[in-house]
Amino acid sequence: MTSFHDQVIQILPKLRVQALSLTRNRSAAEDLVQDAVCNALAAQDSFIPGTNFSAWMHRILRNRFISDLRKRRETTDIEDVPASSFASNATHEDSLALKDLSLALSRLPADQREALVMVVVQGMSYEALAEATGCAVGTAKSRVFRARRQLEAWMTGDLPANDKLRIKVAALRSTLDDRRRKGLKSDDLFSF
Amino acid sequence: MTGGEDGVPEKPRQTMSPGEAENPFDIWLKRGLHQLFDDVANEPIPEELLRLIEDDRSEQK
Repeated sequence: MTSFHDQVIQILPKLRVQALSLTRNRSAAEDLVQDAVCNALAAQDSFIPGTNFSAWMHRILRNRFISDLRKRRETTDIEDVPASSFASNATHEDSLALKDLSLALSRLPADQREALVMVVVQGMSYEALAEATGCAVGTAKSRVFRARRQLEAWMTGDLPANDKLRIKVAALRSTLDDRRRKGLKSDDLFSF
Repeated sequence: MTGGEDGVPEKPRQTMSPGEAENPFDIWLKRGLHQLFDDVANEPIPEELLRLIEDDRSEQK
């Protein structure tokens, strides 16, 4: 049987993805994973062997995130995902699409973003998501559905004309195109 | 279908009915999310974090 500590090590990559989906910031995500691991180690006696370790661990990380958020009352708007995640061989248009997606993701409520990422990226079932996030299966499904629907609306342009995100994306594109025409780099535009 | 040659998503072009199994937007979204999150999962675990876990393992013995 896999030991408690081995299970912690094995689940770290998934915790990182969950943490990044919640914080939207790599540095904050690393801190969150470390804090969650500390909490889990401190509470390891409360874990019942043979029960769902993954759900237990994801809940600890989630609770830690919520607890930190309450303490700091801070909404991080730093978007450092694109800079290090974009494939180096991506074309200009492809990078823009990913940046648009990243920007749209950052506008989703944290619980919807987390649900979407855990299902789509981690391949988690709705049942497992519900257990990992401490909600009903119907709620888990609803979060993923609403996240998909909202992103689709944003990314395909099915939005009111005065929508702030679309205006921001359109402004960014316009600035990028302008800079490209002038032969200027545009990387700094996405370091906000 | 909607993915680029290098696995990089292109912009979604259209929407389909919500129940469509092969919804082009869902395919595009999945590719995009993997592009944004996969390398985070694949990065090496920081030594400090591994040491923290191993130290606790030793203490528990």
